Amino acid sequence: MKAIVSLLLGLQLALFPAHAAVSSAQENTLDEIARVATIMLDGDVCQRIVTARALAHMLHSAPRDEWQAGDNYEVNNDAFIQTKKTLIRLAMIATYPVDVNLWMPVPNTQDIQVVIRNKHELSQFWNGEVRQAMPASMQQVLKTGTRVTVTEKPGMVSVLAPVRNSLGEIVGLVEVVSSNAPPAHDEQ
Amino acid sequence: MRKFTFKLVLLLLVSGSCCWASDLAVLSGYHRPDPFGGIVASDRPGASWDHAIKLSAARGGYVSFQLVIKSDNPCNNCKLSIESSQPVDMYREWFHLNTPDKHYYPDALIPVQLPYSFQMPDPENGIQGQNARAFWVDVWIAPNTKPGVYHGQARLMDGSVSHKVRFTISVLPAEIPAQDVIDIDSNSYGIGWLRHQYPNALAGSGDANEEEQFHLLQQYYRIFYENRGIYHVLGYSHSGYVDPGFAPELDGTGAQKHIVSWDKFDRLFGPVLDGSAFAGTRRGPSPIPFMYLPINPEWPANYLWWGEPGYQAEFTNVVGEMERHFREKNWTSTHFEMFFNQKKRYKGFEWDGDEERFPEDYSYMLAYHDLLMKALPADTPVHFVMRADVSWTMQQQMHVLKDAINLWCAAGGMFIWSADELPALKQRGDTVWNYGGTPSVQDVSTSIASDPLRTWVLGVDGFVRWLAVDPGPHPFQALSDGGTETLVYPGERFGLEGPIPSIRLKLQRNTIQDIDLLEMEARRGSRDSIKAQVVRLFDNTNLAQWSHSPSPPPAGQAVDWTNADISDALKPYDEQFPPAQPDAWQRVHDFTLEHSGGLQ
Repeated sequence: MKAIVSLLLGLQLALFPAHAAVSSAQENTLDEIARVATIMLDGDVCQRIVTARALAHMLHSAPRDEWQAGDNYEVNNDAFIQTKKTLIRLAMIATYPVDVNLWMPVPNTQDIQVVIRNKHELSQFWNGEVRQAMPASMQQVLKTGTRVTVTEKPGMVSVLAPVRNSLGEIVGLVEVVSSNAPPAHDEQ
Repeated sequence: MRKFTFKLVLLLLVSGSCCWASDLAVLSGYHRPDPFGGIVASDRPGASWDHAIKLSAARGGYVSFQLVIKSDNPCNNCKLSIESSQPVDMYREWFHLNTPDKHYYPDALIPVQLPYSFQMPDPENGIQGQNARAFWVDVWIAPNTKPGVYHGQARLMDGSVSHKVRFTISVLPAEIPAQDVIDIDSNSYGIGWLRHQYPNALAGSGDANEEEQFHLLQQYYRIFYENRGIYHVLGYSHSGYVDPGFAPELDGTGAQKHIVSWDKFDRLFGPVLDGSAFAGTRRGPSPIPFMYLPINPEWPANYLWWGEPGYQAEFTNVVGEMERHFREKNWTSTHFEMFFNQKKRYKGFEWDGDEERFPEDYSYMLAYHDLLMKALPADTPVHFVMRADVSWTMQQQMHVLKDAINLWCAAGGMFIWSADELPALKQRGDTVWNYGGTPSVQDVSTSIASDPLRTWVLGVDGFVRWLAVDPGPHPFQALSDGGTETLVYPGERFGLEGPIPSIRLKLQRNTIQDIDLLEMEARRGSRDSIKAQVVRLFDNTNLAQWSHSPSPPPAGQAVDWTNADISDALKPYDEQFPPAQPDAWQRVHDFTLEHSGGLQ
């Protein structure tokens, strides 16, 4: 049915203003996962996930079709599956719910796109759109190659870490994220 | 003597001024009032304020009308009562400010006990200048009601002044069947919305909170059932997260993966699967006919094993156990739907399960069908079905996936280009629904009848309103989207534990009742003639206009179409139908009862 994503993260935060912060031990685990992710993820494979056709539709909007980018979004299955399985394995290092999401810049723009999400649907950044404005923390990772810890949303911690290709270029980043906030998963 | 006469005249003048100042009128359900003594713009044609109403009804259903109290003076002690030999449910109508056009419309219906004492204006609704209050009246005509004419009256006491309106109901021998001929579905996603709509009931946490969530969801099943609809709630999201209670709890991995607890699932769904959740409804207990399963690419099998032997092992282990559990519980009246809702644009998986646009995704549906068949015993009495919600490429899918899919949910508008496939789908025993949205409160009242009518006229089995439980963030202050994503409202504000209905839901229910009777008449051999007369009465169209599009689908491959292409191509079809009139369904109702008088 016609897709509208309704991420209730904001609502979640409004309803549950008080919850325990992720502990420093948990934070250390997330940081370690992020460090390993930089090693394990193959940036060349990641670059092959989103098809050229999907990117073209993302970059050239149709004035009479607000759903154009989403309706034409497609991926190369092999690259997607290989990478998603690695992200799942990385998340399993923790003994509590963690997601490892893959983010990549949208070429020729200042935007970023989440490319792979996982089953707990945790993220401090995703807004439900195919592409979105790039947060400063992500810009920093892509520019410097350093890991960045983000605790902007109450109860959530994300560690951002670079993903490199065979040329040594930073082509994307992972968001290793955990949350002590109640889940909100009403996606339509 | 002279002094006494003067006092009598004075008393009459005083009481006369009361009578002029307030009035009790009766309206049909199709002419919705506004809070200022008028009728909402879309429902004005044909409206009349009356002091009596004559209604006809079949047995085993409801008949409805509205009572409106108009008063130029505040009333702090108004009381409304109804005398009726048949059971009556009365609701006070809530006037919502509709954000898109800044006008007030009645929609939410708050149940009230009779007699009902109230004030004018309504202090709770808080509308500046309000001088009219409205009440929806449902009269239940039980199946065993003796045919005949029944009289009733509503009485308003405004201080010492009394107003009466009379209603007459001709109960015909015809009986509305217990089973509806079309499935009109209200769809929803997840359970997070409950927390927003019931902040007090769900303020806590832990087991009590979970039990309350389950109870609330059962109330949603119940309200749609009582109003001749079905209800779906999808228990997983685009990346495969399954909400608590929507699936049994699992343990183990690979060949060892198995179900360890049915406790939550059974507490949530057991009462709707055995029908006990519907005890006390006028329709009586009955198991739900359809239900989403939690199966998705990440459940019950771990996506990590996709393409490996472990995926099949986990899938068949768990789904096989589910089949056994459902069989042991005797849940054999419900169709359990394996349905994939994810879209690749939401980045959880690499293929679209919902509204597949890319032909390479079909192979996933075939693979999952294969897994399902491997998991189920060939002679299972449990009805597992594979459902596909189709739009862009529905015609191709109806061919390529014909051995896999047996529940098709096809985009309402685009289906007209694939309607010729319907006989073949029905021939092989498939169920076919259409899906779409819900008319806004600012649309003419009878527009709620259009989709059920089209469903029946086309010979489709049902219609799914894709989201029917989301009234927006502050529906009792303002409807942000005209109510196009809801047919019910949370009752918590009014001290009620669960949802309350809407006028649109009641009008839809009344439509379904009539379609049930029309189908009974059609089965007597005059189907095309009955349908032709119905659409002519509804909007002066003919059957060919409903069943065929004057324009073809957009040129080229579906994968290259845009939404604008589709809208343009559907325009000639849509433009065949003149704007509905408020009394359009009343004409169909009258025709229905006229032709079904002898049916039982």
